[in-house]
Amino acid sequence: MSETLLNVGVAQVRMAKEPTVLRTILGSCVGICIYDRMKKIGGLAHVLLPLDTANGANPEKYADTAIPLLVQMLLKEGAKKEFLSAKIAGGASMFKFESNVTLGQIGDRNVEETKKMLAKLQIPLLEEDTGGNSGRVIDFYLMDGHLKVKAAGQEKIYYKV
Amino acid sequence: MHAQIKQRIESTINNLAALPTMPEIASKILNMVNNPDVSFKDVAEEISKDQSMTTNILKLCNSAYFSRGKEITSIDRAIVTLGIKEITSIVMVIAAKPILDKFVIGYDLGKGELWKQGLMVANLAKKIAIMKNRKDISDVVFTGGIIHNVGKTVIAIYVQNTYNDIINEVKTKNITFNEAEKEIMGYSHQEISEKILEKWNFPPVLKAIVRYYSEPENAPEQYKAEVSAVHIANTISIMAGIGIGSDGLYHQLSSKALDTLKITNAELEELFAKIPEMGKQLQDLA
Repeated sequence: MSETLLNVGVAQVRMAKEPTVLRTILGSCVGICIYDRMKKIGGLAHVLLPLDTANGANPEKYADTAIPLLVQMLLKEGAKKEFLSAKIAGGASMFKFESNVTLGQIGDRNVEETKKMLAKLQIPLLEEDTGGNSGRVIDFYLMDGHLKVKAAGQEKIYYKV
Repeated sequence: MHAQIKQRIESTINNLAALPTMPEIASKILNMVNNPDVSFKDVAEEISKDQSMTTNILKLCNSAYFSRGKEITSIDRAIVTLGIKEITSIVMVIAAKPILDKFVIGYDLGKGELWKQGLMVANLAKKIAIMKNRKDISDVVFTGGIIHNVGKTVIAIYVQNTYNDIINEVKTKNITFNEAEKEIMGYSHQEISEKILEKWNFPPVLKAIVRYYSEPENAPEQYKAEVSAVHIANTISIMAGIGIGSDGLYHQLSSKALDTLKITNAELEELFAKIPEMGKQLQDLA
């Protein structure tokens, strides 16, 4: 079966099953990839900000609302909580900025809140490729749950599921 | 420094035919709107000479992004309804798309990413101008935002050849990606953009925007506000991953630009938070 590439935009949550590949491009945003290794379905949340300030009006935008939403979507599709695991990428920062500019820390804050939410939902975080100053193009392969991260001209592959 | 690459870039920028071409109508309109002696009839007449431009303008006037509700079916009506400055923005969107809507090697930008970023930065810069009560510059920063990265299309091939040296220079000397471009290739993409705008006969304010958008502190005093708006718009856009390439976030977010426009932390975060909604509004222009 051929792979279908599905692009996930900023502040979007997408779910699919094998053999789809979910792709997104990250700067300071964080991409959260959650996979059910038995059912071979998974989803990607591309979060822009750590905490919901819109009272649920746009749950796909924030780490603290997008992650529970993605988990709910997967469970509804037949995934089992005990077979879910997560990999995350992104959360880069500007190379140079002054410490009084709060937006400068948004990448770190996104990563921090993402981890907090995964821990709260008891989804094991198996791999992370976060921080630094590079942009990342990530491809999440639902045939086996591996994650390819392309950053600064180099590729890394994370296999753990 | 790669002397040979510098030489090759030099011969490229000294050969006008090797630089992207802007339709003549766009340069004409851009210079006309800054001339107080030009009437809207003159502008309408100029546009009407170009049939495909006319068709495209009418299409965009009725797009979700530019439409004011009523359907527009003539250029005269378009100018009356939207104003000459908004029509200029529309002309620029039409004229710049074929130049920017392509795959850019070296910077590793997929097809359409540079173009989508141009639209996003244009829109953000305009929002910043309006937010800070500078409606007087909202149209010029929109145009500047669209084309601020045009030099990348020309210099990309050389970045492809020297990428590892550039990124190495960034890390060892703790300088931004564009400073390293200049160190390694003799030119930054901003300098190439400026050359391209010279060829196009574009006004000085737009040349200042493309040349200084990543170092607003060095912009000529009279254009600091315009350059700062595009600097901030570009920074927010790449942070959100829109138009981010192999140069990543190896850039600066200038506090001086924030000071110039008196943008607060809360305003900056608000702009960043609205990017997904703005992306949707811009969809029918991409």
